[in-house]
Amino acid sequence: MSHDRTDERGSDEHLEVLDDQLADEHTELPAIETGRYLYCLVQADADAALETTGIDGEPVSIIVEDGIGAVAHDCDGIYDSANLAQIRRWLVRHQTVVDEAGQAFGTPVPFQFDTILRGGDAAVREWLREESATLERALAELAGHWEYRVAVVEVEPIDDEALVERDERLQALDDRIGDAEEGTAFLLEKQFDQRLAERRAARRESLTADLEERLAAEAREVHTLERSPSASLADDVASDDSGSNDGETLCRLTLLAHEDDEDAIGSILDDVAANDGLEVRFTGPWPPYTFAPELGGDGDKNAAATDRPNSQP
Amino acid sequence: MTAIDVGDGEDARDGLMTLVITVVEILIDALEREAVRRMESGTLSDAEIERLGSQLATIEAEIDQLKADEGIEDGVDDLRGDLDGLVSDAIEQLHGEPPTVQQPGYSVFGGEGE
Repeated sequence: MSHDRTDERGSDEHLEVLDDQLADEHTELPAIETGRYLYCLVQADADAALETTGIDGEPVSIIVEDGIGAVAHDCDGIYDSANLAQIRRWLVRHQTVVDEAGQAFGTPVPFQFDTILRGGDAAVREWLREESATLERALAELAGHWEYRVAVVEVEPIDDEALVERDERLQALDDRIGDAEEGTAFLLEKQFDQRLAERRAARRESLTADLEERLAAEAREVHTLERSPSASLADDVASDDSGSNDGETLCRLTLLAHEDDEDAIGSILDDVAANDGLEVRFTGPWPPYTFAPELGGDGDKNAAATDRPNSQP
Repeated sequence: MTAIDVGDGEDARDGLMTLVITVVEILIDALEREAVRRMESGTLSDAEIERLGSQLATIEAEIDQLKADEGIEDGVDDLRGDLDGLVSDAIEQLHGEPPTVQQPGYSVFGGEGE
């Protein structure tokens, strides 16, 4: 699954992740007689409905309790397959349902793929009731906010000449090389190359630091991701994404921003993209996968939920 | 990269040569950096700088010639690239989290079991 685990956990949610326990069970899947596969939570009225089909063509329903709706379908087992294409289809479907729920009801709190609650609708309602304070807060905090992903790629490295133009030391070295004897010129050239590499790295750093700072002023949260996306299923699905080798990725960021601030963020990115040789790749709005809180049971080991951020393109 | 393959039989000589030249190149790079540093620090006279520079230039030219004669330019570049990757990986691992934590892709909660 995703390695972009820059998730922010809610401050006082009690968290129980059954890592060890689940890892032991990986070879033997837990049996589920009756369960509800959960896509996401949304703010919804009692008579809300969502018409869509979920994973494996299952009809999706929305189970509402007290203004909170859980988008779910009936299931009787874990979705597990050795077939990568199958898993991709499931993941894409999961994401599509979450997207549709978001369009219909506003920002959803997404669940990780394959999050299942044992029991029927009544069990889901009970859980929604028990956790209503936490869930309401999570939904209210995220309302109107979406996740946006930004990658800055240097498609064409900046010319040496351009760097020399901006740096007095490089110009001075260049002059000295012209005047020097052969051996000295050799060492000066080495020094010139080192300095050039330093300036190139410094330029990248200042570009990305500047971008982060400006984005942080508009967005609610900005996280830096690893520069190269980890191999994940979603990356393969969105094959036209940043995985290609047509430039060096200077930085990858994910941010949580209010939908009203989208234009302001867009114009910051336009400024960066105006630099020669730089390309800005922007995707979103996504459901706030990275920023959804971890929801947990109340210390009951059997009632642990994780919603690590899902893989995102 | 987990192993340096120098090949066998006919290839072994090339492979070994590639490895040796790569290591020598890395050494020369380090020497050159040190030479630049000393030139910068002002502890060397102009004559010393000139001598050091021309010696290093000669060595570098010799190595380039040797690589061309042996036809191993690409091999040396590749190996250096691999070594760079190896070092970056090692640094990343030092920096913290293990790269992958194998976790099941599902979460089940509620009900019986466990």
